[in-house]
Amino acid sequence: MEHALTLHGVTKRFGSFTAVSDLTLEVPKGCIYGFLGQNGAGKTTTIRMVMSIFRPDAGTISVLGQPDAAAIKDRLGYLPEEKGLYKKMKTAEIVAYFGKLKGMDRSTANQRARELLTRYGLGEWLDKRCEAMSKGMGQKVQVLGTIIHEPDLVILDEPFSGLDPVNRDVMRDLILDMKRQGRTVIFSTHGMEHAEQLCDYVMMIHKSRLQFAGTLAEVKRGRDRGIQLDYDGDGAALQQLPGLARLNDHGKSAEIYLAPGRDPQQALRWLLDHVTVRRFDYREASLHEIFVRTVDDANRKLAAAGKEG
Amino acid sequence: MANKTLLVAQREYLENVRTKTFWLGIFIVPVLLAGVVGVSVLLEKLKEVQRYSVVDLGGGDLLARAEREFRSADAKAMWRLAAKMQDDPQMQDLRDKAGPTTAGEPSADQLKAVLDWVGRQDAKDLARLGELGASRRYEYVSTQQLGIAATDPQEVQRELGQRVHKGELFAYFVLGADPANTVDDFRYVSNNFTDVGLRTSYESALTRVVQKDRIKAADIAPKVAAHIQEQVVCKPLQADSKGGTADVKKENVVDQWAPVGFVYFLWMAILGVASMLLTNTVEEKSNRIIEVLLSSVSPTQLMQGKIWGIAATGMTMVLVWVVFALAAGWTVPTLLGVSGGSAIMAVFMTLQNGGYLLSFAFYFLSGYLLYAAVLVAIGAACNTLKEAQNLTQPVMMALMIPLLSMVFIGQEPNGTVAKILSWIPFFTPFTMMNRAGGPPATWEYIGTSVLLLATIWLTMRAAGKVFRVGVLMTGNPPKLREILSWLRQS
Repeated sequence: MEHALTLHGVTKRFGSFTAVSDLTLEVPKGCIYGFLGQNGAGKTTTIRMVMSIFRPDAGTISVLGQPDAAAIKDRLGYLPEEKGLYKKMKTAEIVAYFGKLKGMDRSTANQRARELLTRYGLGEWLDKRCEAMSKGMGQKVQVLGTIIHEPDLVILDEPFSGLDPVNRDVMRDLILDMKRQGRTVIFSTHGMEHAEQLCDYVMMIHKSRLQFAGTLAEVKRGRDRGIQLDYDGDGAALQQLPGLARLNDHGKSAEIYLAPGRDPQQALRWLLDHVTVRRFDYREASLHEIFVRTVDDANRKLAAAGKEG
Repeated sequence: MANKTLLVAQREYLENVRTKTFWLGIFIVPVLLAGVVGVSVLLEKLKEVQRYSVVDLGGGDLLARAEREFRSADAKAMWRLAAKMQDDPQMQDLRDKAGPTTAGEPSADQLKAVLDWVGRQDAKDLARLGELGASRRYEYVSTQQLGIAATDPQEVQRELGQRVHKGELFAYFVLGADPANTVDDFRYVSNNFTDVGLRTSYESALTRVVQKDRIKAADIAPKVAAHIQEQVVCKPLQADSKGGTADVKKENVVDQWAPVGFVYFLWMAILGVASMLLTNTVEEKSNRIIEVLLSSVSPTQLMQGKIWGIAATGMTMVLVWVVFALAAGWTVPTLLGVSGGSAIMAVFMTLQNGGYLLSFAFYFLSGYLLYAAVLVAIGAACNTLKEAQNLTQPVMMALMIPLLSMVFIGQEPNGTVAKILSWIPFFTPFTMMNRAGGPPATWEYIGTSVLLLATIWLTMRAAGKVFRVGVLMTGNPPKLREILSWLRQS
């Protein structure tokens, strides 16, 4: 299978701080790929290296089959985490400007900018200044500026942050549209539900190191199955569940992981006695659970390594 | 690749040029300047007429002759008059009598000719001249006009003294009884001793009249007297390479204030435009738009684009100013009736000399590029304008040097200080512009320009490195030491 992006042994240091350490990753063409990780884990640095804004200290990066991403910048689309617009420019102008910077000719860029804005519900805003728009609209304009030149690979850094549910759906549809058009989409996110709903592949990076990568199914394979519970009643009671290994209690719902060998049927019976069960699901671990547990495990390992060292 | 730099520059230019503040800023400078010139001229015109009276103890025609001499000796006023006459059809006949005159500062010869001519006019023509434009700052009022009936000189002086005290009169003169022998009993009575214009002018008029009388009394032929009194004038000549001399060409004579005016313009333009770049960079950085741009263009392209975009903005500004200045150079002197004197006027006049414009354009562009490189790097390293202001302080301090030395260098364009400053690239544009009146030797022009261009190139490279690292940095502003360490990277 051809890859839109290949990283091999990529390392980036800032002074004594290592932001990305020996990262090897393959992103297949035409997929939606999620980059997961805590703040400061190294996602943005990785993305910036892919965009050739930073140069890696070690390792190689190949983007769309090219060793030098700078040479094919025009085939990439990038929405950084910190998003800004020229406040004084009109929306159609700025989207077209981004297109022109990517090598589109003037008239095509102008025409396409207006088309896109109209298609995504900003037709009335074409000739209004960016400063007049709400944050959600501004973000939409930015995304359209990212994709106006029909890039083969689109990288979105935290595209969902700060959006209301309606605009999140718009963003989701945009990503799905791009996939349908055969483009590769990489996005980073803190929202595990977005990753779970959208991604064909996910990877997780923690404290500069890759923790796991693969299709959702691959990542979940071999993990503990867990109970997804919707309930009413006293959540404190859940702590008393016999054979409980881990609990994520959200107040109205909870994820419950049992110690090895425990029978979920028995747990159900116990739960029925102690809370009002509205939904009971015994299924593979959620991405959220995998994320939290990976962070825990990694920190424990690092602490242990620290003690030994 | 260069195409993207151009796109960035174009956007930058359009964004600036499309704002109202930009045009407001452009127009406000000439308006302010015109205001300064206009107000000072207006103030001069608004000065109250100083009324004076005269008591003649001698009782002869001294008073009348002194008055006539005083009027005609108001040389500058007469000159203005002569210049004005050229455009007034009603004065055609007077003009024909006076011969050709030109606007601007009169030469000694021209003044003399005009004065001679004025001296030959009859009373009626003089009255016409007086109405047209002679200075009306001083007005003679006779004792009769003041309603003083007394004839006794002591009594008259007492009455005049009271009027001076009350402010009805600015001053009165007492002309001595026997000017042919002594001038000890001449007096000037006033309560204002700061404005000495009336006194000195009237004194010199009296001196001339008394001199004339004494020459006559001593039986010296007027021709001889004129011969004795002739003033020495050294004819200015220019030395050439062979040791010979040549007449000074008009275009080589530069008013000493013109280069100073130019340096000031240059300083304002460079500082104004370079700060525009600084503000713009910091804003763009805090706007978070930089990273989006960096996914399409390289940091170098972005930086170059910004620098050139703002350069175009600055050039537009300077161009508009030059057009204004040229227009003003043609119209203002005649409109306001001022002739030379102020630095601004000198600049207006000199602007019509193409060489000045060309070197102004060159030094503006090179000076801007040099300071732009420094400021854009600082801007890229900072997150707020306040942080940037701290870092730009040394630059601003350095920029004070050309401003402080500008008058000095104007006077000593080929002095040691001027020569040393010319070779410090950060001062080269200002100093070389400042020295234009010298003018410096050709090799100095070439040498300093080469050094300047080389420095610009080096500074741009260094700025590129700082820009590349700094532009994506957030958090605390870097210390100077850190910035220098970026220079060593890559």
